[in-house]
Amino acid sequence: MADVDEEDYVYFGTPIEREEEISSRKRKAIAEPGTLRSLPPWKQEVTDEEGRRRFHGAFTGGYSAGYYNTVGSKEGWTPQTFTSSRKNRAEVKKQNIYSFLDEDDLKDIGGNTLETSMQYDTFGFTAAEFARKKAEEEQKKRPSAIPGPAPDEIVLPASSSIGMRLLMKMGWRQGHSIKDSNAESLSEIRREARKAFMALSSNKAEPDISEKDADGTDEFPDMSIDVLRNSENTPVYVLNPKQDMYGLGYDPFKHAPEFRDSKRLRESKSRETKRSKVHMGSLLSSNSKKYAPGFGIGALEELDAEDEDIYASGFDYEQTEVELEPSKAVSSSSGDRMLQLEHKKRGSLLGFKLASDSDYKLERFYPPAIPSNFRPIHKFGAPLDQTLKNYNSVPPPDAPPPENTNLRLLIEGSAAMVARCGKSIEDLYMEKSKTNPLFLFLKSGAEGYDYYVRKLWENKQKFVDNLKPAEKLTAENRGRILGERPLASTTSRVNDVSVKAREVINTQSSHGDTVTKPISLADLPDSAIKQFKHDPAKQERFELFLKEKYQGGLRASGTRSSTSTSTMSEADRARERLDFEAAAEAIEKGKQTIQISAPSTDHTKDLLGFGEDRFVSSTLIENSETKLEETNVVYPKREQFEWRPSPILCKRFDLIDPYMGKPPPVPRPRSKMDSLIFLPEIFKSSNKEDAKSPIGNSLEASKSGLKEAEAEPSASEADVAPTSPKNVERPVDLYKAIFSDDSDDDEADAGPALNQALNPVKSSEGANKTLNRLVAGDFLESLGKELGLEVPPGSIPGPSLNTNTVSLPEEQKSCKGGDDRDNTPFPKVKETKSKDYGSTVDSSREKKRSHSKHHRRRSRTPDLDPDSGSDSDSHRRHRSRSKKRHDRRDRSRSRDSESSDEAYMNRKERRKKHHSRHHEHKKKDYGDKYSDKKRRS
Amino acid sequence: MPVAGFQVSTINMDHNIPFSEERIWDLGLRLWRRAKAVMAGQSSSGWELAVNESGVLKGHEGAVLAVRFNGDGNYCLTCGKDRTLRLWNPHRGIHIKTYKSHAREVRDVHVTTDNAKLVSCGGDRQLFYWDVSSGRVIRKLRGHDSEVNSVKFNEYNAVVVSAGYDRSVRAFDCRSQSTEPIQIIDTFQDSVMSVHLTKTEIIAGCVDGTVRTFDIRMGRELVDQLGHPVNCISLSNDANCVLASCLDSTLRLLDRSTGELLQEYKGHKCKSYKMDCCLTNTDAHVVSGSEDGFIYFWDLVDASIVSSFRAHSSVVTSVSYHPKDVCMLTSSVDGTIKVWRK
Repeated sequence: MADVDEEDYVYFGTPIEREEEISSRKRKAIAEPGTLRSLPPWKQEVTDEEGRRRFHGAFTGGYSAGYYNTVGSKEGWTPQTFTSSRKNRAEVKKQNIYSFLDEDDLKDIGGNTLETSMQYDTFGFTAAEFARKKAEEEQKKRPSAIPGPAPDEIVLPASSSIGMRLLMKMGWRQGHSIKDSNAESLSEIRREARKAFMALSSNKAEPDISEKDADGTDEFPDMSIDVLRNSENTPVYVLNPKQDMYGLGYDPFKHAPEFRDSKRLRESKSRETKRSKVHMGSLLSSNSKKYAPGFGIGALEELDAEDEDIYASGFDYEQTEVELEPSKAVSSSSGDRMLQLEHKKRGSLLGFKLASDSDYKLERFYPPAIPSNFRPIHKFGAPLDQTLKNYNSVPPPDAPPPENTNLRLLIEGSAAMVARCGKSIEDLYMEKSKTNPLFLFLKSGAEGYDYYVRKLWENKQKFVDNLKPAEKLTAENRGRILGERPLASTTSRVNDVSVKAREVINTQSSHGDTVTKPISLADLPDSAIKQFKHDPAKQERFELFLKEKYQGGLRASGTRSSTSTSTMSEADRARERLDFEAAAEAIEKGKQTIQISAPSTDHTKDLLGFGEDRFVSSTLIENSETKLEETNVVYPKREQFEWRPSPILCKRFDLIDPYMGKPPPVPRPRSKMDSLIFLPEIFKSSNKEDAKSPIGNSLEASKSGLKEAEAEPSASEADVAPTSPKNVERPVDLYKAIFSDDSDDDEADAGPALNQALNPVKSSEGANKTLNRLVAGDFLESLGKELGLEVPPGSIPGPSLNTNTVSLPEEQKSCKGGDDRDNTPFPKVKETKSKDYGSTVDSSREKKRSHSKHHRRRSRTPDLDPDSGSDSDSHRRHRSRSKKRHDRRDRSRSRDSESSDEAYMNRKERRKKHHSRHHEHKKKDYGDKYSDKKRRS
Repeated sequence: MPVAGFQVSTINMDHNIPFSEERIWDLGLRLWRRAKAVMAGQSSSGWELAVNESGVLKGHEGAVLAVRFNGDGNYCLTCGKDRTLRLWNPHRGIHIKTYKSHAREVRDVHVTTDNAKLVSCGGDRQLFYWDVSSGRVIRKLRGHDSEVNSVKFNEYNAVVVSAGYDRSVRAFDCRSQSTEPIQIIDTFQDSVMSVHLTKTEIIAGCVDGTVRTFDIRMGRELVDQLGHPVNCISLSNDANCVLASCLDSTLRLLDRSTGELLQEYKGHKCKSYKMDCCLTNTDAHVVSGSEDGFIYFWDLVDASIVSSFRAHSSVVTSVSYHPKDVCMLTSSVDGTIKVWRK
């Protein structure tokens, strides 16, 4: 009976099920397995023969565990990646981020998730829109807590409430009113009666009556005419929204109802203005909240909860104002209204008048008047140029140097300084001259002033000459300033030569009129003389030194000591003297156009890049770089590089490894080709230097007069020359790289096997050797045998060994030729292997590392004496033999048929298999076997 | 200017060293002290140079390529083209033992400080590690790709460092069973001719014109470019200077700390052969052979040839100076080893 009813009625909500009911239902379900089967699998329940659900216990999910009591997924425990079938290869599952995110995560991400929409609406109008319209309508009619038009976000459609849904189920539709049909019919009857009554009495007051009637039927005045068609939804009114902070039910106007009237009046007024200027914001008119008096709010701040006066009493200040208002309002209301209108017109705020004349004036800043002679091109270093021009225009008369050599030097020095640094230095000297009598020569008329002026002019001339090429910055010059390496193919040499030639001409012309001081060095290139350009004082001294040297012919040692400035210490002076000697010697010797480095390292800064004087603070590195490329080194020259001793070497030298715990170095490339590509700048340059040096020198010896431009290509040739023999001469390493890489022991075997055809002697020799090593267990015994076998006393070994060694390179070459193809993949293999040891990086260096690691391990174990190790050795050998065979077969196959990459993969796989076969145990022995191989080879 | 209680000027005046005082200053205090010691020695006992032939050791068939005193100077080892090593007592002129195992010429030999082990190298690209008393090869250390020019033990006799024609210096561990090098230094551009070890450094001279110092403690490589192929290097007894024999017939003395060139010694002929040079036991003089069979002695400080005499009929391949006494051994291509005393 009840069951039948169930199907007829529309249910709302889910009934609470009772245990008994469930069991009864279950029983029923058994009776109808068809219904159960129609359920999705994860909802189906598994029952026993008696129809009881199987209980799994609390920890396994209570009753049903879903999916026929397997696990909570469709696949259950079936492995997903592995399928054993040969035909159905496991599909490569492409995983993306979504496979790792659950629904919540996806929601957080904001991805497009499928959700059921609450706003599904068959008809064009969504419920939301409808509600919004309604709310707007209401807004117009009544005040609400939030002034202004209701924002869309706030007016959301009430997601159909339970009551609504109930109504819907009962047949109500959106947009219809809920009405008691009885009441409707009643009013209908009443209306009919009234009509009849009216018809009876008279026709005149019909509308009034109808109005009254409408009042009587309170809410549905006109629409009740045709109830069925026009019945409308009741707008939801919030009649008196609570707008104050009073307690519920408290009425401040309880005993003074007249105040309430006045308030309402005020509110209605303010509402008017509000509505007219909604955009003025809620600040002005919001009396819905009281904010604390005395605390202002910034214009840009919103009135929010913090500003509310939570301590406000029922009495508020505005209220008092309002209280007075009605009496005045009557009289001045019209005027007020006028004002308001005006304000509206002018767009100013309520209660504010526009001032007739404002004090505020917009201040305008006019651009400064540009002087008529202004030229919109900025000139750098104008003052210097100007002064220089001055000096150019009026060459001061030549003056004899003062008798006092000290004074002369001082004058010359300061002149050089002033020429370099400009007028400011001169001023400084002037300042000094007030206290120091030494600087008196700066004052015109004093002793040495003329000489100073002359010197200054000369220096400036020189300086201008120096500047000239710098002003015309070519690409090369700029590059050099920036420390770039010039391209090999650029014609910088030519440019340099031309520039230098120009310089020489300039200096010559500039010195041409200084007849009294003929500089015999003028035939030397300027750059050679100006080695100490950055240090004008030093340069000055150097020039002096040169002058003395070349002019005087004899070295007047007396003057020499006096020339050096008093500020220098004896040691510095000596050092500088040496520098000068060396530099002068170099100039004299080569007369090259190249700058020459001072011998000691702390004088590297003496070598100046071009335009150095402009960028004084340039780094030393730049200098050294420029030095490397454009100077010829004076020997001996010292360079320093980083070098990593192997840890075992450090240990054997009883030293602490300086690179202990530091990451492995960037492997230095083995072949020259690599080095050309990957070598850092320093190495490259140094290599070049090295390669150059012997040949360059021989060249120098033979044809010293040759130009650099010619020497350069020969040097590059020399650079190339050693590369080819290096590659050829390295076959043994290559050989090892190929055969010692992964399979541990095949070097000994594979070597002879490959070489058999080529060199039978070698193979027999190899066999001997391997035999030797096989017996190498006993240390002394092996020693004896080794001696006996390899070097039989007398004359036996001579020829055979000779042929062996002679033929070895050939076979290596041939090996190399054959294995070139396989050359590439093998380092990779090695790399993976070295990873097995827990370290990275390929190449022989790494190999060494692993070796050394192994050694360390070894030295810890007591098997240093071979007797104990012999047993295990033979075992190992055996094992590795079998493996070796594998690998060899493999390799031969890979050589023949497969590409090298495939071979690599293959071998890797195979190795993996090997590992899995003799897993742990073998791994442990790995290092030892490695050494085994080494001994064998 | 007093330097360590020592008047520079007085020395200048006394011995007429052709340097300015500044130059002397630059050459460094070390050289100064040595110079002082030399002066002192000269003034007290005159010249003490091993210039008088006191014996000839004969036995090698063919050229003798190297002669080396052992650590205490009581014995010497020679090696040569005849693929043998020989142990001698040079003071008594006795040939003690012959070591045969090399397949090619033996170029260098070194003995441990405890005289128990030898290491030798040569044309067969291997190092032979010998037991002195039994005369057996303990181990053959391989790794070089071509001829090995020079070999040395380190201070603790645990490492053998060799320099080869294959442009590399290799270090081998004597304590392990491995015959593979534990370190390969292959920054050289050309054949490495000579190697020396200190407690913390490996110093090697190379035909690329460099003397390279590999400081194990600091982990750095110092490259001193000399500009001329270096034939042989030799350390001063205080290990502060290195003497490099260059193929431009010049010996160059470098200060090892700064890399500065202290002095050059010229006069002999050294253009193509591998020849040794060394300093005397007092570091007062520099000795080198010559390709014309002469021996040259230079004064360390002023580089003047103190003595030169014809010692051999052919190229003097090696010279070795007694660590304590005034005694020198020279070997030559003519197959003889000569002992020189004062």
